Amino acid sequence: MNKIKAFLCVVVPIALAFLFNTKLGNTPPLLKFLNPFMGFWQNAENNHFMFNHKAKIKGAIDKIEIVFDDRMIPHIFAQNDHDLYLAQGYVTAMHRLWQMDFQTRFAAGRISEVVGDKAIEVDRYQRRMGMVYGAENSLKGMMADPKAKEMILAYTEGINAYIKTLSKANYPLEYKILDFKPEDWTPVKCALLLKQMSAVLAMGSDEFYMTNILKKFGPEVTKDLFPDYPFREDPIIPVGTKWDFTPLPIPKTPESFTQAQTGDVKTTEKREGIGSNNWALSGSKTASGYPILANDPHLDLTLPSIWYQIQLHAPGVNTYGVSLPGAPGVIIGFNQKIAWGVTNVAADVLDFYEIKFKDSSHNEYWYNNKWNATNKKLEVIKIRGAKDEIDTVFYTHHGPVVYFQKPKYSRANNVPVGDALRWIAHDQSNELMTFYYLNRGKNYADYRKALTFYTAPAQNFVFASVDNDIAITPNGKFPLKWKDQGKFILDGTDPAYDWQGWIPAAQNPTVKNPARGFVSSANQSSTDTTYPYYINWEFSPYERGKRINDRLGAMSKATMDSIRLMQTDNYSILAQNLVPALLPLLNTEQLNATQKEALSYVNKWNKRYDANQIAASVFEIWTKRLTFDIWGDEFEVKGIPMRYPSRDRTVEMILKEPNAPWYDNIHTSKKETLTDLVNEAFKYSCDSLERRFGPINKDWNWANVKQSNVPHLAKIPGFGSKVLQIGGAKSTINALSETNGPSWRMVIELGKNPKGHGVYPGGQSGNPGSKFYDNMIDTWANGQLYDLFYMQSADDKSGTVISRLKISK
Amino acid sequence: MISFATCGIIGKTGKIAFWQSFLAIFLLWIGYALFKSLPNDNLLASRVAVMTGVKIWWILLLLTGILSGLVAGISGYCGYQFRMAMLAKKTDEKIA
Repeated sequence: MNKIKAFLCVVVPIALAFLFNTKLGNTPPLLKFLNPFMGFWQNAENNHFMFNHKAKIKGAIDKIEIVFDDRMIPHIFAQNDHDLYLAQGYVTAMHRLWQMDFQTRFAAGRISEVVGDKAIEVDRYQRRMGMVYGAENSLKGMMADPKAKEMILAYTEGINAYIKTLSKANYPLEYKILDFKPEDWTPVKCALLLKQMSAVLAMGSDEFYMTNILKKFGPEVTKDLFPDYPFREDPIIPVGTKWDFTPLPIPKTPESFTQAQTGDVKTTEKREGIGSNNWALSGSKTASGYPILANDPHLDLTLPSIWYQIQLHAPGVNTYGVSLPGAPGVIIGFNQKIAWGVTNVAADVLDFYEIKFKDSSHNEYWYNNKWNATNKKLEVIKIRGAKDEIDTVFYTHHGPVVYFQKPKYSRANNVPVGDALRWIAHDQSNELMTFYYLNRGKNYADYRKALTFYTAPAQNFVFASVDNDIAITPNGKFPLKWKDQGKFILDGTDPAYDWQGWIPAAQNPTVKNPARGFVSSANQSSTDTTYPYYINWEFSPYERGKRINDRLGAMSKATMDSIRLMQTDNYSILAQNLVPALLPLLNTEQLNATQKEALSYVNKWNKRYDANQIAASVFEIWTKRLTFDIWGDEFEVKGIPMRYPSRDRTVEMILKEPNAPWYDNIHTSKKETLTDLVNEAFKYSCDSLERRFGPINKDWNWANVKQSNVPHLAKIPGFGSKVLQIGGAKSTINALSETNGPSWRMVIELGKNPKGHGVYPGGQSGNPGSKFYDNMIDTWANGQLYDLFYMQSADDKSGTVISRLKISK
Repeated sequence: MISFATCGIIGKTGKIAFWQSFLAIFLLWIGYALFKSLPNDNLLASRVAVMTGVKIWWILLLLTGILSGLVAGISGYCGYQFRMAMLAKKTDEKIA
């Protein structure tokens, strides 16, 4: 009896300790986590005292000093390039290690290692789309360039030097929550980070949907509803700009059309979110006589932010701007003489090829009139708490065959089964050198040289210099295609469908110092219809670009504030176009009291998506519902994934084709008209708002309906921001949605001494226990910008310094 | 582990073994946690409290103390009982 008791007395405490130190499901190991000596309490930073520090890094060549200003932005002063990037790696890891780890793990398809098999489809998708394959190729390209190689190796060294200083007690918080440890950084992770940006910005492809649409509706309807140029446009390169080159011959269009594969997947509406604004005003339009440049990239808003502010100072370079944690250099910013920024081109650089396999072993495929061997790549996916999973991916000369069976994963909805993927991100590349040269650039010639190194994701690079030059270039490595090559799924057996070459970099569309005195881009069509090459058949709707150009065209003697206010402009050209067309169609007799009241708001509306506008909420839901009413019955068919026509095309139809057949709902016997749909949608809008918030009250305000907020990168509750009472919408310059919007707002005034202003919704530190985790959100939400402290030396006293870090070897 | 050993050696009664161990760790952990959290204005504690569902930061603090104290207390109690069991065995053997 006693023996059993004795036995239990030993076993129970051990069992308890084990229980509370193990991760169970999603709960972190409790005792470990709550332990004030090792657990999350250790991450609570002292908010009141800042200290100077010293660090030793063996690989440092010379002395390095990092000066932190009052927003925890590091200003690095190094004596050579190697130390500069070493320090950038070190300090970025100091603040954002977990983010860098998580984002590259996600890119590499290694999340299951941490969270178990619930992430298996996420990982499989990343592997099968060839992310690691692309990163490895990209890295080969970068390591072949001695300067890029030095940058990457130094940056890697810096990150690892920081990781070495960590003990279990001071692991970043998320490691403690998810119960895993930081691993060493490797050069391929830099490439993975860059590829992930490519995936975010240039992985859009609708050819699967388009091929299904072509098959269902035929070529006439497809051409009519999905035209290759919108009916209204204000292109990035101004209309009438002459092309000063002789174009290469365009490859011939092959005769055939292809059949599509279909799957059991629900259609999703084309998401408008990935986009941005940038513009530059020539000195002729500014009060100072020098150019002003502005950029606000639109990305998913997260804490920590996708961007990290930094200043890099070394012999030959003094640049300030935002960097991507995981890659060296400054991506968007300025230096003493120039400023630059980017928006997404959304070029057609991702294509699917239908493959004819010899048999179900998939060892051979038919191409160029013979059988060719595939390459097998074994992807090993480690799963926490389970056996490794081995996934075999077959590679053709085009690229990997992504899926043979449709997975249960929403991101894979637009991937046709059995087709091979040709994606620019799989190629060797050396983007880092673009930013290396831009960081050090002094004039327009340097800008043009920097652009030649860039492959993907294609960006509209805006530029301004103190010499009063402004320019913009939709830039990237563009495949030389025949018109619409890539709008539909391509025939993988016929060499005529391969990518036939490249558009020479010097022939990418570009404009310098146009007569109108400004350049701008908002992801709209790169050019008018005279440009000889095919970049894509569809771009973002024209409203943002039009609004920007309207305002810039009207500006004279512009100041920083004029531009700052423009970035948060909530005026909607979409509303301007549609409201006068829709209002007359409403049958006011049939509206109930709430609906009549809502209508009175819309009648009085100033077309601004401001935070306190009720009309904006009503209009937004109204038009979304109308779009669904028009297209849903024809384009949502079980088993045939498709997408709707673009917003531009829908607006054109509403304005110019009141009797189009598409208004009729084919599922009902009655023949509906546009008027019927407009009324139904309006009532639906009012009813749904009333269901959510009751009869009209301040909860109907646009800010409350939109619910903009900044969540944690891994959606951990409690680590995101509160709901922000702010305006903006995707059809306005201030392109905010629920969690997507201007991830960085920057305005640079060039001059004898450049004056930079910027803000992002977050903070420099990725530690939720730091006061610098989210301290800039309010300023951003209020539409304000901070004055950026552009230091000329480590002793520059013109701003506030709160601590210094001196690094020696 | 420490409380197991300590109470095994010097524990006077089961109750004391439990409560002294409990209190010791309870106070130590809460004290140190506060030492870390107060200069942070309890920023982190509030966020983690929301994450774990307890919502209020000092409830999280209490939880820290209670959970750790419980484990310590149980270990201490077990240590004491273990010694009692071993002693009883020895007496059994002696008698037999």
